[in-house]
Amino acid sequence: MDLPGPIHDFLLVFLGSGLILGGLGVVLLTNPIYSAFSLGLVLVCISLFYILSNSHFVAAAQLLIYVGAINVLILFAVMFMNGSEYYKDFNLWTIGNGLTSLVCTNTSWYGVIWTTRSNQIIEQDLISNSQQIGIHLATDFFLPFEFISIILLVALIGAIAVARQ
Amino acid sequence: MNSRSKRLIRSIFHIHRSSSMFLLYEYDIFWAFLIISSAIPILAFLISGVLAPVKKDPEKLSSYESGIEPMGDAWLQFRIRYYMFALVFVVFYVETVFLYPWAMSFDVLGVPVFIEAFIFVLILIVGSVYAWRKGALEWS
Repeated sequence: MDLPGPIHDFLLVFLGSGLILGGLGVVLLTNPIYSAFSLGLVLVCISLFYILSNSHFVAAAQLLIYVGAINVLILFAVMFMNGSEYYKDFNLWTIGNGLTSLVCTNTSWYGVIWTTRSNQIIEQDLISNSQQIGIHLATDFFLPFEFISIILLVALIGAIAVARQ
Repeated sequence: MNSRSKRLIRSIFHIHRSSSMFLLYEYDIFWAFLIISSAIPILAFLISGVLAPVKKDPEKLSSYESGIEPMGDAWLQFRIRYYMFALVFVVFYVETVFLYPWAMSFDVLGVPVFIEAFIFVLILIVGSVYAWRKGALEWS
């Protein structure tokens, strides 16, 4: 199966509509567990977008970290809530809701319209994606690499100290 | 036509093929697998939802407790130690994802990069010893 342009565009539209539906589900569903699963759908759609853009390592890292770790943490945090505290009076059109929806739908149109698809010839590299990332991480960016370990250590200690109370 | 000109034509064909689309042809099996593996459970639920008879009586609707009469409520309080395990898991998972590209490029990099990755893992071992001593890994 050779994927020409129209199938690529179809996949873009399909994933984009899945993304928008998932985002609406996160905000509008009343049961918080449903909205946490809808967030998982959004993150999976973003990961498939990365595959469409030829960044395979970032797609896999997105699935592993966002869906596998961060979404699971969000689900666990949602499980601590009591079931009887769901929204009884679900007022959809408050001022804050209207303002946020106006801002979110109308600010990025200029960036979208001015984006053009480049006509460059994309060839396959000799070194794969993740090897290039590894080489850059170890040589150009090795100081941020060590700082990342310190940030992870600080996050671990802080979260354990907070959650133990 | 000798093999050299055949190879030349094939390489030109490759470059021409990738000029108007992205390198998606590597992943066509993946998309097919994704579509089929999403379609099979949906089909299974649809068919059994259509074909299976529905007769509700109170004994069918009660929860299962290994054959005996269910006693007590089915809902338990969520305990904090589940959250502590998920937290420690996330931090070490992110560390592992950072070790993947280092491992992929290990053979072209030298000994200094090995020492940098060793320092990375060492700082996170300090964190794991802290989590161990503070009781975040206790199950009971």
